[in-house]
Amino acid sequence: MGFITDYIQLQKAKLAHERAFLHLLRWFSPLVWLDYLLRLIVRRFGLSYLTFIGISALRNQRRALLTIISVAVSCALLVTLLTLQRELTVPPESEAASLRIIARNKVSLAQPLPAKQLPIIEKIPGVVAVSPFTFFGGNFREETVTSFAQFAVDPVRFKDLIVEGHIAEGTYEAFIKDRTSCFVGADTMKRYGLKIGDKMRFTGTFYPVDLDLKIAAVFQGTVDDRGVFFHHKLLDELMGDPGTVGTWYLRVASAGVANDVIARVNKAFENSSAEVRAETERAFQMGFISMLGNVKLLIGSISAVVVFTLVLVTVSTMSMAIRERFRELAVLKALGFRRTELFSFILAESFGLAALGALVGIGGAWAFWTFMDLQKMTNGFLIYFEVTPRIMATGAVVAALLGIVSAIAPSLAVARTSVVEGLKTLD
Amino acid sequence: MAAPPPVSIVVVRDLSKIYRQGDINVTALNSVSLDIAPGEFVVLMGPSGSGKSTLLHIIAGIDQPTSGSAKVQGIDIARLNQSQLADWRNQNVGFVFQSFNLIPVLTAAENVELPLLLTNLSRKERRLQTQTALELVGLADRGHHRPDQLSGGQQQRAAIARALVTDPALIVADEPTGNLDAKSAADVLEILQSLTRTAGKTVVMVTHDPKSAAYGSRSLHLEKGELVNDAK
Repeated sequence: MGFITDYIQLQKAKLAHERAFLHLLRWFSPLVWLDYLLRLIVRRFGLSYLTFIGISALRNQRRALLTIISVAVSCALLVTLLTLQRELTVPPESEAASLRIIARNKVSLAQPLPAKQLPIIEKIPGVVAVSPFTFFGGNFREETVTSFAQFAVDPVRFKDLIVEGHIAEGTYEAFIKDRTSCFVGADTMKRYGLKIGDKMRFTGTFYPVDLDLKIAAVFQGTVDDRGVFFHHKLLDELMGDPGTVGTWYLRVASAGVANDVIARVNKAFENSSAEVRAETERAFQMGFISMLGNVKLLIGSISAVVVFTLVLVTVSTMSMAIRERFRELAVLKALGFRRTELFSFILAESFGLAALGALVGIGGAWAFWTFMDLQKMTNGFLIYFEVTPRIMATGAVVAALLGIVSAIAPSLAVARTSVVEGLKTLD
Repeated sequence: MAAPPPVSIVVVRDLSKIYRQGDINVTALNSVSLDIAPGEFVVLMGPSGSGKSTLLHIIAGIDQPTSGSAKVQGIDIARLNQSQLADWRNQNVGFVFQSFNLIPVLTAAENVELPLLLTNLSRKERRLQTQTALELVGLADRGHHRPDQLSGGQQQRAAIARALVTDPALIVADEPTGNLDAKSAADVLEILQSLTRTAGKTVVMVTHDPKSAAYGSRSLHLEKGELVNDAK
């Protein structure tokens, strides 16, 4: 029978090791430390409502941790969705954007405008600068989808349109001089490891021509440092000089005259073969976004589902947590605690767990989106992903409401149950 | 000149309690009347379903009668609303349950201190009162232990300390020795007995056990919701 005794001894030793390991592992949980801290406070200052609630909430640390994690993940998701909605529906604002106007063909953005419109636009009072601005839409290198745009511009006129950002001295002149050169945003240079003098090859998708460009100048410090600009003349040559442009890009003297200039530009080509629709850069971007569909509704719907799921999870968790303590709450009632006090306990516990989850989730989302290389992660799709204080506040309000809502059902159950019924409940 | 008879701490008159179980009315108490004097150790006995626990619950203010009145220290507790009843329980009644009902995440001392959170006592006063209550039940050195670190007898003693800590006039105990071994049961009963003798507390205890009943100064026997015997 010796081998049985040996086997039992071995199993006991294994169990002891496992227990010791699990005990050690516990100390990696922040909730264990929080519980320890609360107990130290009680030992030093005596029991209080707050410490009692804290200790009660942390009694089942695995469940408390899972609740906090589920709230945290949902809050992070909600904040991310709201930020995405904002980024997709509210384009980044720059002061200069209010001074810039884009004039396109009234029929459609895809319809070109005659190049001969230039002298007419130039003469409109309030117009400081104007340049052709034609979207090339090519794919860089072997890419099937290139996330940065390429535009054909008049380099000399385009310089007057740039009122923000920074260009290395002397480089823009080199761009003007060389018909096959281009002017590239710093983010694109960094992303592809490019330097001045490097070649950029674009395969046309809208236009049946390819571009071979040499980087002459780099810009940075604008709202979007990704674009590539090249000589319109080059595109004209490659296309057999069709005498058209995609759009006109204008700068006005001040934001105050912008509406007047828009009206004059539209009027100037009224009843012509190429009627124009001019609008501010911001309005143009918004119109472009609307082509993506009702992004706001889509993301709003997903956010609502996230919040609804979160409510279900938390309500169910809180209900379970309270149901387990029905007997204890009945004892508290017997000792003289009123229903309002018990409701406060449940509310504080539920609110506390939701608040901790929100802190981790919203804080985590903020840190993640603030310190991650977003361009690299989204393959250049997003350049900004700013988790604004307003979005964080929205997440916090949702979490707070969640804490309140999830306390209602268990509180009602406790209020409805008499002390005698509560005492009969099994532990 | 003869001493005036002691004013009863508990006065129960024509007390009835009818429960509704589905379509059937179950009479738990049927027109029970009794008086309990201060300092008495009253034992409620009777078979299961005789109504002894219901009577105890009504006297303690955790259940309401269907008819009749139950006055404790002159207050008709059936007339108090939920909040008033909660305050009244905190100030006037101490509870001892069969299964101890200590809060498992709190230490013995914290469990004892719990009812004092509802009072206006300072932190220092609360600590002092808690310590006194623990000393009275012989648990002064076990205050920092949690319930799962105490024996059944020690847990019940902690529960008695919790019942005592607000200095109530009435202590109700629902089968306090039901989960204890003979030695621990004797310890608990001695404590309850000494509370009536030395501190002048009134104890009302429900039990099935005649040995436990022997500690009381008076036994009340209930059967089918009616008081059938009152022996001093």
